Amino acid sequence: MNRQALAVTIVASDTALNFNCFMPPPTDSTPDTQSPHISVLSLSVPVAMGYIPLGMVFGFLFVQAGAPWWLALIASVTVFAGAAQFMMVPMLAAGLPVAAIAVATLVVNLRHVFYGLSLLDKLPRQPLARWYLVFALTDETYSVLTTLPPGTSTRQMVTVALLNQGWWLLGTLLGAVIGAQAKIGLVGLDFALAALFAVLAVEQWRSADSAAPLWVALLAYAVAWALMPQQALLLAIAFSVLAGLFWPAAKVKKVAP
Amino acid sequence: MIDTSYALGVLAAMAVVTFGLRALPFLAARFLQSQPLVQRLGRFLPLAIMTLLLLHTLVGHARDNPAGPWAELVAVTAVAVLQWWKKHPLLSILTGTALYVLLRNPDIVGNL
Repeated sequence: MNRQALAVTIVASDTALNFNCFMPPPTDSTPDTQSPHISVLSLSVPVAMGYIPLGMVFGFLFVQAGAPWWLALIASVTVFAGAAQFMMVPMLAAGLPVAAIAVATLVVNLRHVFYGLSLLDKLPRQPLARWYLVFALTDETYSVLTTLPPGTSTRQMVTVALLNQGWWLLGTLLGAVIGAQAKIGLVGLDFALAALFAVLAVEQWRSADSAAPLWVALLAYAVAWALMPQQALLLAIAFSVLAGLFWPAAKVKKVAP
Repeated sequence: MIDTSYALGVLAAMAVVTFGLRALPFLAARFLQSQPLVQRLGRFLPLAIMTLLLLHTLVGHARDNPAGPWAELVAVTAVAVLQWWKKHPLLSILTGTALYVLLRNPDIVGNL
């Protein structure tokens, strides 16, 4: 890969809307590149520790929002994108148009466009394995795949991706079943979602070039709320995309060779 | 109750968009690398979108809360400070949610 592509990838993943903060960097836990069987499994363990509780929160909130438990499973099988799945819960409950949720998904997952750039040569050529890995390219699977030593077999790469999606499904199922049975009298448990967004916003802020997007978002939401309270979120996202397009290009962070 | 066919339509659209984004570089790598707009949006949008999702969720909670927005403000500040300081997402989420539930259900404190 050329230098420019590497720079793009690193800048992109630097500012990524990611869940990587939920687990220790996989590199720390895999000094043993001699035995790939052990390293594949051990790379997936920290992912499990993040995916199972988070998947439970998703399943729980989705069912509490009024969806049947099996729909939560379908979401985790077919979409498999943590932040987008969380984002969709309030939008689905509010009955927003499909096109609006599709646009929001596009925006929230935009970072994934950059992930493939550093994996173009690394993913297996065999079509089924290659396209499953592309499908399963979450923040965590991406970070694990980029950590695997060269010469890792197709089977091992697919195993790690399948394990990761398995943890996500397991968490979703547990959370959905609990959510379907719980008749909880406590107000405010779904504040977990706001707390998750707060955590992600803090991590975005920590890694951002500037805090300008945050101020733009606050202003955009205030204006959108004044204009159309019912569509404030959608309108504010549109304002932010416009602002992002016309914002003077921040200087690109220098990447060490 | 969420309408099932509507929800399935939403999930299908989300699956197509997400897979499309993940597959795009394998189809158009060189084109994307040459687009400064794509890179600029990739840097600008994540923080803006997260801020908006947070704001929107908070406003939703505050509107359902007859006692005013104080519980929301206290809980979200706790989450943000804890996350900035400890960098431990599950700790931040669980503490903030527990704090919010306590603030919204004052009688459970008396029952403990």
